[in-house]
Amino acid sequence: MKLSSQKRSREKTVELSMTSMIDVVFLLLIFFIATATFVRPERNLDSAIKVKSKGGQSSPMEPVIVEVTQGAGGDFVFKLGSAEIDSQETLTRQLSQFPDKSEGAFVKVSDDAPFRMSAAAIQACKSAGFAAVSYVPE
Amino acid sequence: MRLTKHKRKTLGGMNMTPMIDIVFLLLIFFITVTQITKINKERMELAKQKGSIDQKPTNLTINITQDGAVVISGREMTVPELIVQVGKELQRVGDDPSLITVSIRADQRGDSSSVNEVVSALENLNIKKVMIAVEVPQE
Repeated sequence: MKLSSQKRSREKTVELSMTSMIDVVFLLLIFFIATATFVRPERNLDSAIKVKSKGGQSSPMEPVIVEVTQGAGGDFVFKLGSAEIDSQETLTRQLSQFPDKSEGAFVKVSDDAPFRMSAAAIQACKSAGFAAVSYVPE
Repeated sequence: MRLTKHKRKTLGGMNMTPMIDIVFLLLIFFITVTQITKINKERMELAKQKGSIDQKPTNLTINITQDGAVVISGREMTVPELIVQVGKELQRVGDDPSLITVSIRADQRGDSSSVNEVVSALENLNIKKVMIAVEVPQE
């Protein structure tokens, strides 16, 4: 007969209920998946873009002016001097041939020109090596 | 003598450990890659160009939608309202236009009239640092 009042202590295992935690984790996961948006990488056509007055400045050097305007055929083209250029690659090539790029380039954009072409003209100047590109609204 | 083995009934409990591992991994991934949405950037189709410099924080981001609407911080405004907004920003930096950098995010499908209008307005305020945001094409 057992006289001691001491009860045989049974090993107790502490069980953590995972259900509520998984609920919360799933909720958070679904929230983040649903709200996530993948941002497209953006860059800038740089800070050297200066706003110039429409008339421009008188300079002893002939400035490089790229116009985005309607060509003889009715479509929008890049005008470099009297030459009408219809592709950005050709414009970049032509601009690269200018020996002095220190004076910068001017991009004159008419109101009805597609903005896609305005950006292309600025990019062509930058790619050709002109450090300063001035945007001239027409 | 008992010859047959007594099979104990086992509950088909699913092992949750690998699933929790994966769920946690995904959760941590999404928490770390999610950035707080910048409300000053409207969703639009930017010109696909490689650009010349990486984007840096600017004083003002002006969004110009395809139909020519000027939107700043989610609010559509007219050019006079824009001038007031830029004026406030100028006051904040001690009326020094050289300290103001403006980023123009314009939809490539639109024409250049609104951009020209905005640029002319900035020119009148003597702001020279104007940047045009482009989208780097995926290769």
